Amino acid sequence: MEILKMKTEKTNPDDDYKIRCPRLGHQISFSYCLSENNGLPCFMTINCWNDHFDAEEFLRKRLSQKDWEKVFNRPPKPKVVSLVELIEKAKKRTMDKA
Amino acid sequence: MKTKKIVLPESEMPTQWYNILPDLPTPLEPTLHPGTSQPVGPEDLTPIFPMPLIEQEVSQERFIDIPDEVLEKYLIWRPTPLYRAYGLEKYLNTPAKIYFKNEGVSPAGSHKPNTAVPQAYYNKISGTKKLYTETGAGQWGSALAYSCALFGLELKVYMVKISYQHKPYRRIMMETWGANCSASPSPETEAGREILKRDPDCPGSLGMAISEAVECAVAEEYSKYSLGSVLNHVMLHQTINGLECQKQLAIAGDYPDVIIGCAGGGSNFAGNCLPFVRDKINGKDIDIIAVEPTSCPTMTRGPFAYDFGDTAQMTPLLAMHTLGHNFVPEAIHAGGLRYHGMAPIVSQLLLSNLIRAISVPQLETFKAGIAFARTEGFISAPETNHAIAATIQEAVKAKEEGKEKVILVNWSGHGLVDMAAYDDFLAGRLKNYIIPDEQIQNALKDIDSLVKPWQYRG
Repeated sequence: MEILKMKTEKTNPDDDYKIRCPRLGHQISFSYCLSENNGLPCFMTINCWNDHFDAEEFLRKRLSQKDWEKVFNRPPKPKVVSLVELIEKAKKRTMDKA
Repeated sequence: MKTKKIVLPESEMPTQWYNILPDLPTPLEPTLHPGTSQPVGPEDLTPIFPMPLIEQEVSQERFIDIPDEVLEKYLIWRPTPLYRAYGLEKYLNTPAKIYFKNEGVSPAGSHKPNTAVPQAYYNKISGTKKLYTETGAGQWGSALAYSCALFGLELKVYMVKISYQHKPYRRIMMETWGANCSASPSPETEAGREILKRDPDCPGSLGMAISEAVECAVAEEYSKYSLGSVLNHVMLHQTINGLECQKQLAIAGDYPDVIIGCAGGGSNFAGNCLPFVRDKINGKDIDIIAVEPTSCPTMTRGPFAYDFGDTAQMTPLLAMHTLGHNFVPEAIHAGGLRYHGMAPIVSQLLLSNLIRAISVPQLETFKAGIAFARTEGFISAPETNHAIAATIQEAVKAKEEGKEKVILVNWSGHGLVDMAAYDDFLAGRLKNYIIPDEQIQNALKDIDSLVKPWQYRG
């Protein structure tokens, strides 16, 4: 197997540097991941970017404890639950509109 | 002359899907409604799914007939060929026999039409006139666009804006098949307008695109929503792949010792392996390997244990694959394969020790993809490269052990619209990082004293 390198970069890469996003399915820059989640980072950010620079340290400095917990420490919902929630929201929007 | 590929005659294409739910040693836990805390019932899902798909979602029938209309459409590209990878075997100088199931021959270039076609069909017969969905780079959107074209359904795709702007080819595929594609967030929905009001330049996200698609499906009569992964009925439809493989390997006179697939949402992996998992439940000795699409090590290197969901230890104990709550990346990684988008069926197979998971560093996946392209000719999707990398590992292991193992790998799709990722690899712009074992072991000491779940694996 390839000799694995420890991360050494401390700064976030610029927008010319892109890696594959496992959710979208194409190359993406760090700045997108940083605000993907309604202005907060995507929950996969550290997982994807720690290979490339010290994303964890970068985010710990940047995020409040509350936002850190919200993004990284909240157990994700099963897909069906997310869908049911979206259905309820959509019903409410439709009713409000009517 | 040696047989390179095994092509089933059309008359031998399976006419039923295999449903693993009645065979699971441990049943799936019911999903609870967030508002009522009661199990989610059909009525909760009818605003977005047609009843036949909801019934399949919870069906306990072991085999479910594939409707003639779906079989007819499957025949456009199915049965898909099973190849013997002689070139790769020679390159690796391995005694292993490597077979790869080529799901890249579908019109959309991947396994996704296996479920997109029946979903379009069941919607059509249920009176749906228009489907809504979301997509990132467009793999799912293009498969559904193709399928809707086959059944004369309208399709609207909300494509994440950043993908819409930077990945035109699959959008053009969708439009070629007649779908209407909008960049999300869009001004067409309440959800989209709310976001654009706050941030007119918002590049979008999958979450936003789903909100828009669901809103439209709920609001409009004769409209529904379609999802290409995770749900049980999606896994069910994909099993035609593994059922074909069983017939093809029987023709070859072989049976797999090892089965490998990449696991993102789990549908291509499940589709290939579930019929063999049934054999395993019934006593066959098969090593079934899900290869993780990122460098997340949790499934590979962490035990399944109770852990706190947060570093402050305020949440209830959650049973999860964990590296310990004080291991910082754990909070993210514990969610990895099991919780963030992985199909519940696949998660449960893992917990029941019927499959195992490994992760492969990204450089290795691209090296594997290049080796495969240069020996077998096909350029794989980057996700598929994870499965090829694991296949190479197993083939090398077989050589070291001097065993003539039979390895089956699911080649889930081609990478012809993913060449930017290859370009990054070939230009040397990709790197690896792995967490040292010592760091993991130190973190695991933190959970030593906690109570262990009944499915505990240390």
